Amino acid sequence: MKNIDYGRRKFAVGAALGIGGIVSGLFTATDLFSEIKSFDKEKKAFSIEPNIWLEIRDDNRIAITIPRSELGQGVRTSLSMITAEELDADWDLILPINAVGDSKYGNQSTGGSTSTRVFWETLRTAGAQARMLLIASAAKLWQIPIEKCRADKSFVYEIDGQRKVPYSELIDIASTLPVPPASSVKLKQPSEFKIIGKTKWHIDNPEIVTGKAIYGSDYRMEGMKYAVVLRPPEIRGTLKSFDDSNAKNIDGYIASYQIPYGIAVVAESTYIARLASVSIKAEWNPGPISTKDSRIITQELINTIGNLPSLPQNTTKTVESVYEVPLLAHATMEPMNAFAHYHNNKCDVWTITQNPQNARTNVANAIGLPLSDVTVNVLLSGGGFGRGHNSDYVEMAALVSKLSGFPIKLFYTKADCIRNDFYRSMSIHSVKAGIDNNGKITGWIHKVASQGNVTASNPDYQVPNIQNLKSSRNYSIPTGPWRSVDSTQVVFVNESLMDELAILANADPLEFRLNITTNSRLKKVLEVLAEKAEWGKKLPDNWGRGIASYVNYGSFAAHVVEVSVSDNGILKVERVVAALDCGIAINPGNIESQFVGSAIDALSTAIKSEITIKNGQIEQSGFHDFQWLTMRESPNVEVHIVPSNLSPGGLGELGFPSVSPALCNAIYDACKIRIKRLPIRHTSLLTSFLDDGKISQSKINIYPNPFENFVNVEFDISSSEFGKIEFSVFDILGNKVFSIEKEYYHEKISEKLNLSHLISGAYSFTLKLGNDKIITKKLIK
Amino acid sequence: MKLNIKSKDFNIKSSSETPLLWVLRDELGLTGTKYGCGIGVCGTCAVLIDGRAERSCLIPIMGLEKSKIITIEGLSADGLNKLQKAWVDIGVSQCGYCQPGQIITAQDLLNSNPKPTDDDINSAMSNNICRCGTYNKIRQAIHLAAKE
Repeated sequence: MKNIDYGRRKFAVGAALGIGGIVSGLFTATDLFSEIKSFDKEKKAFSIEPNIWLEIRDDNRIAITIPRSELGQGVRTSLSMITAEELDADWDLILPINAVGDSKYGNQSTGGSTSTRVFWETLRTAGAQARMLLIASAAKLWQIPIEKCRADKSFVYEIDGQRKVPYSELIDIASTLPVPPASSVKLKQPSEFKIIGKTKWHIDNPEIVTGKAIYGSDYRMEGMKYAVVLRPPEIRGTLKSFDDSNAKNIDGYIASYQIPYGIAVVAESTYIARLASVSIKAEWNPGPISTKDSRIITQELINTIGNLPSLPQNTTKTVESVYEVPLLAHATMEPMNAFAHYHNNKCDVWTITQNPQNARTNVANAIGLPLSDVTVNVLLSGGGFGRGHNSDYVEMAALVSKLSGFPIKLFYTKADCIRNDFYRSMSIHSVKAGIDNNGKITGWIHKVASQGNVTASNPDYQVPNIQNLKSSRNYSIPTGPWRSVDSTQVVFVNESLMDELAILANADPLEFRLNITTNSRLKKVLEVLAEKAEWGKKLPDNWGRGIASYVNYGSFAAHVVEVSVSDNGILKVERVVAALDCGIAINPGNIESQFVGSAIDALSTAIKSEITIKNGQIEQSGFHDFQWLTMRESPNVEVHIVPSNLSPGGLGELGFPSVSPALCNAIYDACKIRIKRLPIRHTSLLTSFLDDGKISQSKINIYPNPFENFVNVEFDISSSEFGKIEFSVFDILGNKVFSIEKEYYHEKISEKLNLSHLISGAYSFTLKLGNDKIITKKLIK
Repeated sequence: MKLNIKSKDFNIKSSSETPLLWVLRDELGLTGTKYGCGIGVCGTCAVLIDGRAERSCLIPIMGLEKSKIITIEGLSADGLNKLQKAWVDIGVSQCGYCQPGQIITAQDLLNSNPKPTDDDINSAMSNNICRCGTYNKIRQAIHLAAKE
């Protein structure tokens, strides 16, 4: 592990929120708190207490406390930029240090796209206070007025003079001066920004690309042991009994423990722990939904909806639709993991989490320690998307460390992650809306039935007579926050319905929205988007274009998606254009990256991803059956930032929700098929004239269809068609997922195709005859 | 048994059926190689074995005694190689967890095809999953590295 010389002297600035030093951070297990104490011993301590936001060290490095978790959204970089800006710091000397979970840092929950909004003022103020103190120190050193000094790139300069001094050499003087009160701070105007607004790639990139960056799973300690967990196969099942006698024959196996979540298996390595876990005979009690599967749950949720209220009397045309959105797992690249060391009635944790304060509380409760004796250190997360708000894996690691007496690294398998997640809720959305004689919306009713707590929200346009209703049914399926909470479902429905209304009114979907947009920032975003996406420009045949917008987190976003749908039902996302206004664009390159990533995330879930339940068990177990877009399938994404000097809004979740409705609206535009169920792969985009294909005089007989594992294909050919016939199956994105080729010299053809490997969805089945005649039919699994 | 990793011989205590990934991570502390899916689907754990990108989660160490293994830590003797530099220059990473595997896979591609086209890159890289959606930048970085 890389050790950084923290320097022996330092001074620090922070709001008066409690006692304590900056905590150990990303790069090392060294506890800075002890350094501060030894510093005190040398009688060189300064009067500024406590120090929580930044430190200037005698090697000129500037440590900046990062109170939120880095999940890939770039928070370590953007919060450092905010602080460094007001501090007039040299960017190359910035060292972001992750905060431990502690209420003195305020709200540390990394969610709701709040990090920048919550810490914008705090960190700017801390940076400005430090700069003012350093300038005052230099003025004192040189015996000149403060007004004769200026700061730049970690130096103070004498205005109209030759003298300059690095910040590090002002530590001793600074520690004798009072910290300027926050109320005296004058923050920079956007025109004065030197760092904010200029792209900085992630500050950890050099460590990431060389394998030196320390993610949760990379934390190690001498003597640590490895744990994996066996969990009940059914949702909320419980352990009846287990027998580990076979595991005892495995070299390196240590022990197994019953824990509230199942069985923890401890060994000398992850591999041995997994080997041992496979050999353990466990009996499980069923869970509460043993008899349920996803289709039953969907139907039961639909049954809770009942009749929707009536629309106003002036309604002349009505749209009524039922939309379906499935469960989703988070499927972070890095499986959930935690390191815990229970020793001397204390517990030190190093982990990935989106809420270290919550994890700390839950660990303390799980192992019966007071909060003060639990430390939760936050490492880099290989993705988060909301998963890290639950701390199940952290609690387990702490408990297993306590039970075993060893420092423990506990690592879920990918299957553990997919099958034991806190899912995005599945929801059914029954909607009804109408227009009057003039094509104006008269009323809007949106009722959500979910197994979680999904709530409909208003569309972001001026719509009269809105009724947001809900019903729910409890299935004991764990749910939790998932990137842009509820908006992935609700905005998909709102913006699909808006498109349905525009079409009902025979209006252009963009014009229809602009006519009912009252917010000037949203209007501007839509206008910029329309221009950049060349809205209205004629598209090639079989192409379609869709638009949707999203307002949240103090920010505004909109997307245009262009697709093509081929004659044989293959969808290609040709282009995605995004426009956004997030206030001051702190780190423009990162904003673009977040928007590109959000778009790929949204397209993946809209087209492919779905978690389903069968007999009370989660059916998926990895990226093979819970699929994500690949490089080949990912479109180009253009991102346009509308300039603004307003306070920054949230960003990490902003770029997701409007993508799926823009995509589905584009599909409608291309082939007049309205997607009402996600993922889209369940809906065949095959247009009917090809679906009725005939070879010679014989209709092709395909059965059963829908199928489970096997499909029989029967048809007759004429002697002129004798020869090679290729049977192929394509998924919705045109990937050939099955193919056989055979030669036939007889008229009656009958084949049984084994398609058991395919995940559920609509497929295009094609027959290619020797004479190159191609017939396509719809297949549903 | 012995393994040659980053041009250095290591005496290995793990049993011979242990997948290379866990030997690297748990026994040798070479944690730059990441565990992603464990079934060879995501590519996060890729390492170079005799110049080819292989999925270390699937490969037991038996039979690797004569192989030259290069992990992400060993891709450049000093600092950053062309790919790593391109990755940093255009800021590919978001969470970064899959990127060591992406870079190793890209290295395999450039070893056999120094000037790949978009299609070449798509073919070579479409079995590596990036949950943050950095694919376009990965492609761009590979082109940039190939130009150097």
